[in-house]
Amino acid sequence: MIELHHVTKVFGQEATAVRAVNDLSFTCPRGGFWAIMGPSGSGKSTVLHLIAGLTAPTSGSILVEGTDVATMSQAAAAALRRRSIGYVMQAASLLPFLTVEQNVSVPLMLAGVPARARGERVARALERANISHRSAHRPSHLSGGEQQRVAIARAIVMEPPIILADEPTGNLDQDGGHAVMDLIQDLNEDLGVTVLMVTHDPVFAACAQRVMRVVDGALEHDHDFARLRSPRDHATRG
Amino acid sequence: MRQSQSLRFAVLGVVAFHPTGVHGYVLKRQCDRILGHFWQLNFPEVYRVLNWLAAEGWIEAVGTEPVASRKRYCITAEGRENLSSFLLEPALDVPRPFRQELAVKLLFAVEERTPELLRVINRQRDTYVDQLHLLATQRRRLQRLPVDPFLANLLIDGVEVVVRAEIAWLENVCQKLTERFGASTA
Repeated sequence: MIELHHVTKVFGQEATAVRAVNDLSFTCPRGGFWAIMGPSGSGKSTVLHLIAGLTAPTSGSILVEGTDVATMSQAAAAALRRRSIGYVMQAASLLPFLTVEQNVSVPLMLAGVPARARGERVARALERANISHRSAHRPSHLSGGEQQRVAIARAIVMEPPIILADEPTGNLDQDGGHAVMDLIQDLNEDLGVTVLMVTHDPVFAACAQRVMRVVDGALEHDHDFARLRSPRDHATRG
Repeated sequence: MRQSQSLRFAVLGVVAFHPTGVHGYVLKRQCDRILGHFWQLNFPEVYRVLNWLAAEGWIEAVGTEPVASRKRYCITAEGRENLSSFLLEPALDVPRPFRQELAVKLLFAVEERTPELLRVINRQRDTYVDQLHLLATQRRRLQRLPVDPFLANLLIDGVEVVVRAEIAWLENVCQKLTERFGASTA
């Protein structure tokens, strides 16, 4: 679960101050899949940075799985990210000198998981991301869509309960974007991973259960699709 | 008239997926999954179309079930030939006049009514976003069907492109109205 209570983030001071997030509150439930939309510079990505503990709010509280990120030390925030959050960005940001398999195993190495246990978990993540057949390749040999699937495998290898996705389809064509969205929806529906995704594309935002529109750092509109789903859909989604 | 002809061919196409025949109720379920976003059919409509196709000799009942709702239907050689001709005919659709009503409202917009107009535009955008959600749901369902979703996905791609463009236009209108008449009107 992700909870924001009256969160404000101001960058800079006085005359140069920019209010990137303005008194924003919402609660994304465990297993939810929510999207955040908004024009460029509306504060969408800053919201994800705040939740991941990459930057501290100026005021307000942010609870991730019940833990307040806003008051954490940087080391504690890093530990929370490793344990609970998979982060997917617009650019896959893979290490070019490592193979796909090695790239995906990096979070496990950083977390001190023994080499023997790493292989099985990497294989599981690659399988889940449908990219096992490329495990021995280097990133430069992969298409944009394949690189993004590797980035997602890397994000889920620690089996986090939450995925934060910042424009995960932004660099992809329509088909590549749909393949990545399928994968994100599978993770949400099959594994119950909570997903908060920033996107500027209404087609991909509409794959979520709910779309929040953020303008000038504040919630302008909250669009819930629950009323469109049939009782059978609710039952299927558990 | 044209749409009902397209609908007949759409149902005929779904029957053609089943070389050994298909029951009406299975056909209805498949029509919902494959055509659901484009045509919402109820059972009487499905049976009306099936009766029309059977009367034309484009499909035939196979098996010995006397009750109409339990019959299995197969496409005939004539039906296959007609379906094939239809698929090769040029489509007669012309671009629909989207935005017509909203365009009129925009033409008569005045500064003091801008907040209401922005609300109308936002409601229109919500309708399109709902439509995109239904398309996304349709796309997910198609993946779980035993038929290749490739062609149906092409149709969904087409609708998505149009709806995405409409949303982009609405957002552009909102932004420019707000710029012209000030943020206080938003």
